[in-house]
Order: sequence, then structure tokens, then C-alpha cells
Amino acid sequence: MPHPGSTSCQSPFHALSRRRVLGLLGGSIGFGSLVQPAIAREIAKKNKQVCLIWLDGGISQFESWHPLPGSQFAGPFRSIPTSIPGIHFSELLPHTARIAHKISIIRSMCTKDPNHSTGVPRIQRGDPIDRGVDYPYLGSAVAKLLGPADPELPPYVWIKPGNGGFIAREAGFLGAEYGALALGDGKAPIHIHRPESISAQQDEARQILRERANQRFKSYRGSSEIDAYETSYRMARQLMARKDIFDDTRIDPGDRERYGSHPLGRHILRARHLLESGVRFVKVNSYHWDTHSDNFNMSQRLIPQIDQPFAALIDDLDERGMLDDVLVVLMSEFGRTPIINSRLGRDHWPDCWSLALAGCGIRRGAIVGNSDRDGVFVDGTGYDIGDLFHTIFSVLGIDPRRKKYGHKGQKLAIAHDECGPIREVMT
Amino acid sequence: MSAAIDRLITAKAGGPLAPVADDAAFLRRIHLDLVGNIPTSVQTRTFLRDKSAGKRSRVIDQLLASKNFAEHWTDRLSVMLLERQQLSQVPDDEWRAYLKKSLQDQPRWNVLIGEMIAATGKGESRAAMRFLGKGNHHRLTEDISRLFLGRDLECARCHDHPSVDDWTQAHYWGLYAYLNQTRLATHSGEKRSYFVENLATKKVEFQSVFFDDQEDTGPRLPGGKEIPIPTFDEHQGFEKPAADGLPAVPKFRPRERLARDLASGRNNLFVRNSINRFWKLMMGRGFWMPLDQAHSENPPSHPELLDLLERQFVAHQFDIKWLLRQIAFSASYQRSSRLPPGETEVEPESYRVAHLKGLTPEQLLHSILRATGNEEVRAQESTGEEKFDHRGYFTGTNTGLPTAYADIRTIFVETFGQPSGVPEDDFAPGLNKALFLMNDRLVLHWLQPRKHNLASRLAQMKSPDAIAKELYCAVLSRLPEEDEQQELSTYLEAHPDRRRAGLSDLIWALLTSTEFRLNH
Repeated sequence: MPHPGSTSCQSPFHALSRRRVLGLLGGSIGFGSLVQPAIAREIAKKNKQVCLIWLDGGISQFESWHPLPGSQFAGPFRSIPTSIPGIHFSELLPHTARIAHKISIIRSMCTKDPNHSTGVPRIQRGDPIDRGVDYPYLGSAVAKLLGPADPELPPYVWIKPGNGGFIAREAGFLGAEYGALALGDGKAPIHIHRPESISAQQDEARQILRERANQRFKSYRGSSEIDAYETSYRMARQLMARKDIFDDTRIDPGDRERYGSHPLGRHILRARHLLESGVRFVKVNSYHWDTHSDNFNMSQRLIPQIDQPFAALIDDLDERGMLDDVLVVLMSEFGRTPIINSRLGRDHWPDCWSLALAGCGIRRGAIVGNSDRDGVFVDGTGYDIGDLFHTIFSVLGIDPRRKKYGHKGQKLAIAHDECGPIREVMT
Repeated sequence: MSAAIDRLITAKAGGPLAPVADDAAFLRRIHLDLVGNIPTSVQTRTFLRDKSAGKRSRVIDQLLASKNFAEHWTDRLSVMLLERQQLSQVPDDEWRAYLKKSLQDQPRWNVLIGEMIAATGKGESRAAMRFLGKGNHHRLTEDISRLFLGRDLECARCHDHPSVDDWTQAHYWGLYAYLNQTRLATHSGEKRSYFVENLATKKVEFQSVFFDDQEDTGPRLPGGKEIPIPTFDEHQGFEKPAADGLPAVPKFRPRERLARDLASGRNNLFVRNSINRFWKLMMGRGFWMPLDQAHSENPPSHPELLDLLERQFVAHQFDIKWLLRQIAFSASYQRSSRLPPGETEVEPESYRVAHLKGLTPEQLLHSILRATGNEEVRAQESTGEEKFDHRGYFTGTNTGLPTAYADIRTIFVETFGQPSGVPEDDFAPGLNKALFLMNDRLVLHWLQPRKHNLASRLAQMKSPDAIAKELYCAVLSRLPEEDEQQELSTYLEAHPDRRRAGLSDLIWALLTSTEFRLNH
């Protein structure tokens, strides 16, 4: 992964911070017992990254990945051939249809929760067996399990409309440090910029004073609160040193055109830049996909906004040779009902829905699973969200059967114990 | 009572106790806990010089009697009860004034909570109705259960709690039945809203999502008796007829009944939950944790002590100051946060070492203003001309500096507080919080020498020793150690060309240290 800036900068602060971070990582995997296979595994994981694109509210599978023209509940849109022979998408996805051979579609998701309130957290946590703890969302889980891909950057960045900030609640029991740095409308928070009144030299000097004060305070206490506080400053300084990765003026106008100037296009393009810069996990949120009424007009307006930048992202990652290491997941918390309601809408439908995966150990051009004739229920094996989490962890090089979280002396499974990876979608 | 606290804590300690905190640590802790601010440099120096016996007890009593006590506990209770939600039947200042008034003299917790639950909006305690929000029955059922009974009953709306046997769906709906007649109505003349109750005519019906049986219940507290819903002859159920757009007032008003039955010494769930919450605020950890998980499989760490406090709190008529005073007087509260020699980790429920508590957003703001000598900011009122754009302040579209205290406070709450509707948590460091203290224009502005602030005072001092003493007393509320004095002299000598900036660096480094950020 190219990391401009991190390799060229030879300032003593950077060298020091890198050593310290290595020290921290060493603590968590145990340098004492470090043996060769472990190193090999770490290296294999090093480059794995994730881009989760979340269409909040539920994209309609009928108007996207799984059109069933001529069926009882079909909408008004045609289906079009894709670059996979014999496979069709909705006509609202012309760009993605062109690159379909680079991605996989699962058409047999079968989850349980039709309500948004519990649906979004449940799905983004992978719905593990209830052990009375708040499980982390996927981004925080990956931040914990793989750590930062570049030690100077936060492992989990969340691009969302509206306000940004640091959002800890997705980390669940892992604790605030595994929360998301949220970029409101893709922009970095203003406090990432050091005011001109403080020179770099002065900043360095005052930080050293602060660190010494902390060491003195800690020497009598040995508390994890103190380490966590110090960590927050270290993360802050590292991020400031790399703030160029949020710089909008560095965006290529040609790229902007290819991804689209609407928020989803701009945000997915920003995600690509962050992945290139070495952020481990990038989530992009888009809201208002909950088409209870006027599903067809809304789909006609919304789906092109994901079609264009999603296809551009896959193409770009592929061209840069990154697609083998970057997992791209495009999904919602559920699909939409086959039945069209009286307001020409489709309601929540967890029983049979579709999602798209690409890159990083995901087969190219695989179409997994099917529904019955009218798209109501899964024909054959349905996959729950736990199965998807097993798949995601597996392709990232984490064995969900063996790897556990440690929490208050307990070993907790990272994914639902009774689920397993979806082999058909994996290379 | 304080002696009994110590006896029962020591009996279960299971290892060496940390020694008593030194005077400086005690003074800082008691100031933060009782009045929400660090002591001034002068207060610290005076206290350290004072060699008389009983000086700690005197400070505790002075602080409990001060008007800043009511100010600070208004913050604490408001955050506890509303969780920073903007529930606006009542403007913020009216609500705060109400709490503040209630917290003066002998604040009685059961009276305060009773007023909030029973609030109609009439009379002097109109502001109490803010707690009821818009009168959403499910939100109120869940909040009242969580905040006043220590039970997070959300799951029990649809079925018995899956993992807590003590909590049933009937508990949820029993509480709900006290609240489901409540609604807002607007007085046609005054054009303002009041909470009214409809006439209850039947029990609430509910059904588990797992079973087919239909059940019903009248108003009932967990562990209590169901209250029968009275039947009246036609038109006989009302005390007052409908008037001015407000409906008739029924004789049977279950919400009013809830206020009486819940916030009562006979309801031990309420009493124990209240003690647990105040104990947590003072000691950094409740007898049971999390606070909303009061059930038999999560027993309190010190059941005997809790029983004793329960009896005594009721005997002292729920006097909040009495409770806080007993805790503050105990050696258990006054223990050092430094580990006993030879120990590296201590079981948190043992209270062998004082818990480190994060400063709340308000405590942090007030302490920064006091430490840096910019306390006049707290008196700055909004000019009322243009609304300060908070969002723009964080995204960079608003490059102005806020001057009104209310705006500054909002910026701190947004940065350091929990989102609306989430209970205040323990110390949670974060990247954005670090970035804020490093780079915020306003914070850096306070470090520039102006009028009589700390930077200006230090700039006028010649000797590094005097500077070190004033800096450490003002910011960390203690005298510097020898190595700290040495470090400061070396730092100033190394930067003779930029002495003023150097002094700001030194203030900043202590402000952003963990020692400042925690109540230790």
C-alpha cells in the first residue's frame, strides 16, 4: 500500500511514535512467544482493508441485484445483461452490470429482523449469540482484530452525511478507542488543524512536557485510563501529521466526474483515497433508502447514485492492483417486500434479499443463491448475517472459529457460533 | 454513619488499603465532587498551610452550604434525569432554576422525584414537568424504571426479560398502567400546555411475543400490589369539570399515585437505586454496576452497607446533603488514588484505592476557566443578537470565537459529553477530545496573557520557583515536586527568546495531562 508522507518523513517524532506503536502491538500479541508462523500470518493480514458501503433503510433487491421481470411482484424496470453470461441486473445498474465479472452477488440472504431500530445494529454487529454484552459493529471489530493498517492512521473511518466527530458507540464492549473517526460530509473535523499561533516546534515541546507529566502521574497508579488518555493524544498527533489525506483540493476532477458529484459519489471517492492512504476500514453511509412509499421513483433516483461510484471504485481498485487486498461490501440491513403496498412502496423484507461483495478472497463473477419464482423466499440455503460475518473475517485472514475477543476474563466468539463462511463466494 | 461505611468497606477489602489522600488531593476531589470545580490557587495554598484539626470536615460543610453546591448538582441531576435530551415544554433556565432551588437548604430526593413524576405544569413547580417530556408512555415507563428502580426493562415490553429472571413483562406493563392516561392538553386562554390524566376505566392488556395468552394488569410497582381501578357511576368519576380546553379532572389519577408510591421509603427498589446512584457519583463506582442492572444475579458488592444506608437515608427523609456528607466524611471516600505499595492492580469493587473519575464536560470547562484565570467567562451573557453557529465552529465555516458562556458550554458538552439520550459514562478519552484540547482556538486564547489571568500572573513573576508554585497550585491544585520545579526552570532557560509562549506551553501541558483530566 503506498503511504506517501509516512515513508518520506524522517522527523524524530515519527520515528519515536512508530516505535511506540510497535511496542503497543507487541504487548497485545506477545513478543515473548512470537514464532515464525505468527509473523507470516501478521504479514498476510497487513494489507487487508475493507470498504463497507451501507445503504441505510434497505435497497430493493428487485430494482437492483435480483430483478425478476415477469414475476408476480416485478416492478416497472427492465433487466439488462451483465458481463457475466446469463446474469441480469436491473436496468438501473448499467455501470455495475459492465463490471459484474469482478464482483459477487449473494441473492439468498435470509436474516430475521424487520425493524430498523434493532435491525441496523443487529446486522452491523453480525448478530452473534447474545452474551449480555454490546458487540462491536463490523468496523470496530476489524479495527480491534487487525489493528491499523498504517499505525499513523485511525483504523476505522466513517464517512457520513451530516455531522462528524469521533463516534465511540459502535465499538461496544471493545471500548471507545475502537470507535470511528467520522467525517461529516467527508470532511475532516476542524480541530485537526493546528492554529498558526502554535509552531511545529512549539507543539513538539509542549507535547513532551505533557507526556512527562503523564508519566509521573502514572508511576503511582498503573491505570488503563491513563494509557487510554495518552493513546488518544498519540492518535490525534498522528492524524494531524497526515491530514493531507482529507484534502479536497487533491481530488482529480476526472475522478469526480466518474464517481458523480452527489454525496454518495463524493464519499465513495473519498473512501478510495483513504484506502489508498492506508486506512484499514472505511464505512460510507447513505441514508433514505427506506422506500415504503413511491419505491419505483425513489429507486430510479437513488440507485444510479450507487451504481456509478460503486463501479468506478471496483474499476479503480482493480486497476491499482488493490482489489485482491481490499474487501468491498455493499449492503443494507434488509431487502424490500415482494408485495407492493398501496402507496406503491415496498416494506422491510429480511426473508430473501441480496448484497454485493468484491475483492480480497471473494470470487469474481459468482452469483450465489436464488429465490423462488416470485422472489419471496430463498430457494435452497439461505444465509444469515452471521454467515456473512464468518465470510468477511475468513477472507481477511481471521479464523472466526479460533479467534476470540477477550472481555472481562471471558472469551467471546467474534461471530455467531452456529454460522459459517459462505464458501461459494470465496476463492 | 461514616464510621459504619469504613467498617463495612474495610471488612470486605481483601487486601491492603491505600493510605488517606494527602490534603491537596482531598481538597481537589471534594471541590470537584461537591461544587464541580477545582479549588483556586489561593484556596489550595490556604488549606495546605492550615494545620488545625478538623479542617477537612469544615471544608465539606462549607461546600455543602455554598450556592455553588446547588449550581453543580443542578448539572449532575439534570444530566442524570434528562440525559441531555432537549425535552422542551419548559425552557432550560426555568428547569435549572427549579432544580437549583430544590437543591438549596435540605434537598429531599423523594420530594423532587415525586414532583417530577406527578407534574401537571400548574403552580410553582411548573418546571418539574420537563422530565415528562412530551408524555410518551413507553419512554416514561422505560426511563422511570431505569432511573428510579435500576431496571432496564426495555426488553420486557414484548416478553419477560430473556436473561434476567427477576424482570417480567408484567413489571413493564404494571408501570405503564400508571402512565397511560397521561397526555398534554393546551389551556385555551393561556395558550400553554399542561399534563392531564384521562379517566382510567380498564386494565392494560399485553401479550408476550412468545405465547398466545393475553394478560392484563392495573397500575403496579414491581414487587408491589396491583392497584384496583375504581369504577364510578356515570359522570361520577370526575373531581372537576372540563374547562378552558382542559379535560375534566378524574378522581383516580394513577400518575399522581405513582409519584407517591414510587418515590417512597416503602419502595426499597427506589431507595436502594437512589443510594447506588449518589454513591457512584461520589465514589466512582456503584454497589452494583451497570447502574440499570439491579437484579438478584448482579448483587451489590456490600449488601450490609447498602441495607444500612437504605434505612438511614429514609430515616433522614431522603436528605441528599446528609447522604453526600456521610460519604464525604468517610475514610473510604478520602482514600488516595495511589496504589498501596507493592500492588499493581486492585479489584474495583473493593474500594481499596480511590477510583479515578473523569471530569464531566461542565467540570472540565469550569476547571479550565478557573485554572487559567478566565472565570469571568462564566458571567458572559448572550447578546441575543445573532445565534452562534456551533456546527460551523466544528466544521470551520464559523471562524468566530464564542463569547457567551452558554455557547462555550455547548461546545464543551458537544465535544466531551455523551450524545443526547445516552447516560453519562465514565472516563472515555477520544481522538476528537484530544484534538480539541490541542488545537481549539478558544482554549488557546485562554492561555494568552490577558488582564489578571494565569499566563499574565506568571509572566510577571521572576523566580522559576515562584512560577512553578503558582502554576501547579492554579492548575493541578498542589505544590510542585522538586523534579517538576527543576523541569520548569530548565524549560524556561532553554527558551529565553519566547518566555511568554513558554509559559503558555507549561500551562497547556498541565491542562492536558491526565492528572488534570481526572478527578483522582
